[in-house]
Amino acid sequence: MSSISFINLVTVVMALLVMLMMAVTVSAKAVRYLRASWYERHYKRIEPALEKSILTGENQPELLQLPPWQRDLFLSRLIVERIALLRGSGQEFLMRLAADLGLVDEYLKTLESRRRWRRARAGQSLGYFGGERAVEPLGKLLSDEDETIRAVAARALARIGSDEAVRLLVRTLDDPSELTRLRVAENLERLGQSAIGPLVDSLEDTVTLDAERSHGQITAVRVLGNLRAAGARGVLRRVACDGKEVDLRAQAMLALGRIGDPEDVPVLLEGTKDGSWPVRAQAANALGMVGEVSTIPTLKDLAADEEWWVRLNACKALANMGPEGEKALLELLQGDDRYARDRAAATLEIQGITRRMVRQLAKPGKRGERARTIVGAAIRSGATKYLGGLAEALPEGEERRILREMLGAAETVNGRPVGAEAEQMEPIGAEPKAEREDAESVKVEPTSAEPLAAGSADVEPRRPELEEQRPHGPQVGGR
Amino acid sequence: MSLEGLVLGLNYAVLVYFLLLNGFYLLLYALSFVEISRYARRDAYTGLSELFTSNYAPPVSLIVPAYNEEATIAASVRSFLALRYPLFEIVVVNDGSKDRTVEVLREEFGLSESDQPVRVQLKTQPIRTVYTSPAERMILVDKENGGKADALNAGICAANYPFVCCIDADLILEEDALLRIARPMIESSRVVACGGMIRVANGCEVDSGRVAKIRTPREPIATFQIVEYLRAFLAGRTGFSVLNCLLIISGAFGMFRRQDFIEAGGYAHDTVGEDMEVVTRIHRTLREKGEPYRISFVPDPVGWTEVPANLRVLRRQRDRWHRGLMDTLLRHRKMLLNPRYGTVGMLAMPYFFLFEFLGPVVEILGYVAVPLSLWFGFLDVEFAVAFFLAAVGLGTVISVAAIFLEELRLHRYPRWLDVVKLTLYSVLENFGYRQLNTVWRALAIISFLRKNQSWGAMERQGFDPAKTTKKS
Repeated sequence: MSSISFINLVTVVMALLVMLMMAVTVSAKAVRYLRASWYERHYKRIEPALEKSILTGENQPELLQLPPWQRDLFLSRLIVERIALLRGSGQEFLMRLAADLGLVDEYLKTLESRRRWRRARAGQSLGYFGGERAVEPLGKLLSDEDETIRAVAARALARIGSDEAVRLLVRTLDDPSELTRLRVAENLERLGQSAIGPLVDSLEDTVTLDAERSHGQITAVRVLGNLRAAGARGVLRRVACDGKEVDLRAQAMLALGRIGDPEDVPVLLEGTKDGSWPVRAQAANALGMVGEVSTIPTLKDLAADEEWWVRLNACKALANMGPEGEKALLELLQGDDRYARDRAAATLEIQGITRRMVRQLAKPGKRGERARTIVGAAIRSGATKYLGGLAEALPEGEERRILREMLGAAETVNGRPVGAEAEQMEPIGAEPKAEREDAESVKVEPTSAEPLAAGSADVEPRRPELEEQRPHGPQVGGR
Repeated sequence: MSLEGLVLGLNYAVLVYFLLLNGFYLLLYALSFVEISRYARRDAYTGLSELFTSNYAPPVSLIVPAYNEEATIAASVRSFLALRYPLFEIVVVNDGSKDRTVEVLREEFGLSESDQPVRVQLKTQPIRTVYTSPAERMILVDKENGGKADALNAGICAANYPFVCCIDADLILEEDALLRIARPMIESSRVVACGGMIRVANGCEVDSGRVAKIRTPREPIATFQIVEYLRAFLAGRTGFSVLNCLLIISGAFGMFRRQDFIEAGGYAHDTVGEDMEVVTRIHRTLREKGEPYRISFVPDPVGWTEVPANLRVLRRQRDRWHRGLMDTLLRHRKMLLNPRYGTVGMLAMPYFFLFEFLGPVVEILGYVAVPLSLWFGFLDVEFAVAFFLAAVGLGTVISVAAIFLEELRLHRYPRWLDVVKLTLYSVLENFGYRQLNTVWRALAIISFLRKNQSWGAMERQGFDPAKTTKKS
């Protein structure tokens, strides 16, 4: 009997529990609605007084009379919202108001709270109105156990932006969490000029450029490059030459390129001889950014590099160098190296140079002759598909006739259709990456970090013996 | 021992089974509850928009396998291109489609053949051509047909970036889904893989490749699946991920660290459950190496998918899932109860073997034996009630609790009506729908024993969003 009643009891309890939870689920929605409207009501009441204070520059008694919990819950949010939008005296006034209301003191205390979301909110608010006083406590928050809170602190410090805040931020570039690091990097970049000094110091601090701290160093180098920090050239040159990590050297090359001072060209040229392809690729990239004509021969050599990315960047760099670079590309197109030829053809297509040459086919004299030589070289390198398309698109006329003739000749000379000839050729293509700045991604990509060890051997077949093992089928490219 | 004794023993065993199963689920639920609550609060301070504009976020390759998708692929790729992430590329892999998939993409995005190399780090069917786009960050890899796993492997080989995100071509991603799924992996280099939440798109209003209005569908079958997905993802996977023994990251939406993925060997070609298999293998590889790692699940990067709205297609899907699950578990049976594999070996594997693999058999036994025993007078009514409470009652509690968690922390369904409806369905689900699933899974065991490894013809028809979703 007792067992029956026990079972009954359990049944009833369970049924009640289910019903209760159903009710709670629905009321969760109700509570959210109510809460939102409660907030709304208070905001509506407080907002006019705050606006009036900003306009008059005097603290309104309504605000000073608010109980502490309302200051914390509503007023601080409204102040933060406005500080984010205002500049100059309006902002200063609000910061003073926050201090007068005791919000700064209270949040400084809350930073020590054991509840992390309270710490987070206090840190976030102090970033807006804490000022210099909050820098040191926020610096402590940078080593908080919780990753999210460290990021909040970084953002807050960047917002304050004083020298001390910047120094603290730079130190955090070594944080184990990548998210924190990139947050810090972003914020340093936002700070601009004032971040450069401490960043340079952080790179110079180290006697040896060791692998342990490489993450922080790579980030520092990237930030300096993005800031175009001319003052950092010295230290960047040192890192580019002596950095132990491949990615560190590669990023330093890129940063020097971004800064774009011709005096750094010798360092970049040194980089083109590096044993690791990411460094060569970025050195080529950087040379293109600097645009020094004297480096064209080196870039031409790089266009025949064994790694595709290096060839890609080298040809792109040449394309950026005006008529001289163009000339170099045309020479590559007529050269012996098949890989350089393919890349050059693709680059010329993308830059619209091939198209321009086709337009000049019918010109008399040297110009026409040059155009015919170049288009002929392009056809020999296998760019027939693109040129074929052009031949279709051209208006009826002499140029079109010549182009068709040349394409036709290519067919008959080989005694078989162009497609068949193509089988022997490497595919050529359009530039795959419009902007290949993301070769930066190399930095985070472990595969490519040790490309020569693991990656590229089975990745991209080496030059002489490669014909068949090309990973994708041999076809003629072009657009 | 008499027949009665035997039957009684069986009945008690089934009762204990249900108590254990639901007890375990309640435990997972408790873990999930804490985790999701924390996650939701953290969200306020993560500054996603800041991450979006960052120059420093690691780039992501989005891998989209496509097989005979000419009708929808262009729209899908367009919607993927519009995702919010600082730097990402889309790698579409044409798995030897018989239709015009390649041509459609070439025309739509002005793709041209390229000499861009593919790192052949995983074995795949031969790659015919790589196409690249002059304007968009997009690659099309055209290869011989080799199945979904093969296509994904090829895409991962062609990917240039350190994070790869595998998604189904017909998945509707929320705009910030990439940012959110990448976040745990950026946060800690120990996180090698991360799964996102899959939600049911049926009934929702879809506009230009985005879910515009979230609604529950009219069809009860699809609504039941909403409850089921919420229960599985919110209560189940979050809990498993807290214990770091999550064995499934849905093949429709998951992110991996390219390097670890390749080192683990990529997707297996010879299984129908390649998504579960690869995650289990990553666990195994890394545990054997003794490296500290985590495989995470996050509840708010959302991919919306069209679920089967009729029983026939649903059955086929469940059959495939269960065969995949069994196959994975048997392949990695070495991990079962092996302390070397930590929580995976000691907790997840036993759970999956006992409750997922063999579960259907035990449950059906219970559903048959208890009423029969009652009929023949072997059992009294109390036992039957107790059985009912353990099997259906506790299940109901968990289902409702999952909806509660959804409404409390994630609240995706804006309409009152939908919340009430889902709550009701979470109760109803336990009377019929779950049992039906149990029967299908039991049948899948039989078909598995007959070595049926096919995906089933026309399998993907039911998922095509173009067919069932309103496009306005």
